[in-house]
Amino acid sequence: MRGFTIWGVFIGSLMALAFGLEGYAADLFRKLLLTATLCVGFNFLFGIAGQIAFSHVAFYGIGAYGVVILGFQLDFPLPLAILGAVLTCGVIALLVAIPSTRLEGFFLALATLAFAQLFSVVLLQGGEVTGGPQGLSGYPTPDLFGIKLEGRAYTVVISIVFLSTLAILLLIDRSWFGRACRAVRDNSATAAAMGVNVFRIKVAAFTLTSTLAGVAGVSYAFVDNYLSPIVFGLEPMFLLLFMIIIGGTGRHVGAIIGAILLFLAPEVLEEWVGRHYLLFFGILVVGTILFQPNGLIGMWETLWKRRNHRVIPR
Amino acid sequence: MSNSLLEIRELSKRFGGLIAVENVSFDIYAGEILGLIGPNGAGKTTIFNLLAGALKADAGSIIMDGKSLLYQPLHRIAELGVMRTFQHNSPFPGMSLVDNILVGAHTCFDSSWFSILTNSASAMRMEKQQRSRVVKLIEFVGLSELVETEVDNLSFGQGRLLELARALAGEPRVILLDEPAAGLTLNEADRLSKIIRDISDRGIAVLLIEHDMRFLMPLAQRVAVLNFGVKIADGAPDEIRRNPDVIAAYLGESRSQLQIGKEMTGC
Repeated sequence: MRGFTIWGVFIGSLMALAFGLEGYAADLFRKLLLTATLCVGFNFLFGIAGQIAFSHVAFYGIGAYGVVILGFQLDFPLPLAILGAVLTCGVIALLVAIPSTRLEGFFLALATLAFAQLFSVVLLQGGEVTGGPQGLSGYPTPDLFGIKLEGRAYTVVISIVFLSTLAILLLIDRSWFGRACRAVRDNSATAAAMGVNVFRIKVAAFTLTSTLAGVAGVSYAFVDNYLSPIVFGLEPMFLLLFMIIIGGTGRHVGAIIGAILLFLAPEVLEEWVGRHYLLFFGILVVGTILFQPNGLIGMWETLWKRRNHRVIPR
Repeated sequence: MSNSLLEIRELSKRFGGLIAVENVSFDIYAGEILGLIGPNGAGKTTIFNLLAGALKADAGSIIMDGKSLLYQPLHRIAELGVMRTFQHNSPFPGMSLVDNILVGAHTCFDSSWFSILTNSASAMRMEKQQRSRVVKLIEFVGLSELVETEVDNLSFGQGRLLELARALAGEPRVILLDEPAAGLTLNEADRLSKIIRDISDRGIAVLLIEHDMRFLMPLAQRVAVLNFGVKIADGAPDEIRRNPDVIAAYLGESRSQLQIGKEMTGC
């Protein structure tokens, strides 16, 4: 019952914001939702499945560029272009996952970093297809079932993308799949001895989360109707990592809190220190790793426990 | 005795020039407690790793129910019903006690991705059913009071019981226990003996490596002895104690161990 109330309040406030916000605030909210969508997905891959992969934002980009290229350069009808972009993400994710999930820790990080870098190069050198450093723009806002995908209607669409991603991840996290992912993260040899097909679990976790990033990317394509290669580079990737570490690695709520905090912080900090706000993020991350490895959510839980278990003096 | 559950024939494994296991053959029967003993370096843990699939044998065969376990991947061997505990406790530190043991039940889940994502009744039922089974297993090994404890904070002995419950959760037909009593207090070891007897009463074959003869001799129905990778004896605990080859193998460092075992069982 309590779970239903929390979900009700959560979805209710999302929808209230989606309908209530206008102009710049609405734009910020849409991008925040997409960042949070990326964060919960990356958190599953990094924090729960334990794969140190830096390819998440690249798959976000594949989704975004994919739908625009398919829809407006190859003139696919929109539903087909969306499906095609998501499928492309899934297939590429699978192709990347099969060789690279055989690698562990540091080496997986390097392989996925190389993939992300390769993707950046493709975007920059892609000529007219990717628009090079200028990116892609000037494509029309599409409509779906007669509704133009802009303004409030589009905020609702993005809210649904975020909620579905979160729902999918929560459902599989509490199933045997989520437990197998955590077991593989904690000790893959023991997990295998318990009957877990380690390779298959790793590939599935990587492919699933990368495809979800692709879905978020497809939605991003129509937020500004402009795609810039900078948005899909390594800096946003590390920002995603920072969000998760500060929020609380391996925790869904932590990923959302981290996304909200670090996404909105520049809005406040930029007035004071300009682009140097990244320095603050760096310090915050180092501080978190040193003093509060469980992130903000872990800190909150420790305080909560302490409050509830306070010894009452006689 | 009936047909053997696990048939091990002429199993050999060498590491470079070192022969760890050579031409070892034995059978394991359902519901039996078989002890595997031998001086340090005799190849006991190597045999365990060969059976569980963690090492690949150079020669020989391991057959369960007509199916060869040799060269099967680790997870497949668990699926076929061979579960193990480790010489060193290896819980999944980031997970709760119940979740740790649910990982052991991994092969018992058959709900598809589709039924998970649609939160279907069958997937929920499966989850509920396995959870209640796990709660019973926790009760069976006696960890009920520690359900809320973080697994990192369990004592060594409690960690042994977790390992045991986790291996049992996979509904094994053969369970491999690598020195389950090492580091346990006398009380804990007593309780463990009782638990192991209960396990074999359920028809599960138990293969046990143990150094502690006081623990092993009264518990095992049959004992196989290894020395320098070769099986030198196989029989009831009483025969093993009288076997001259075994006594020779244990002369010096461990003869006293055999003697202790004798005194404890009074024979």
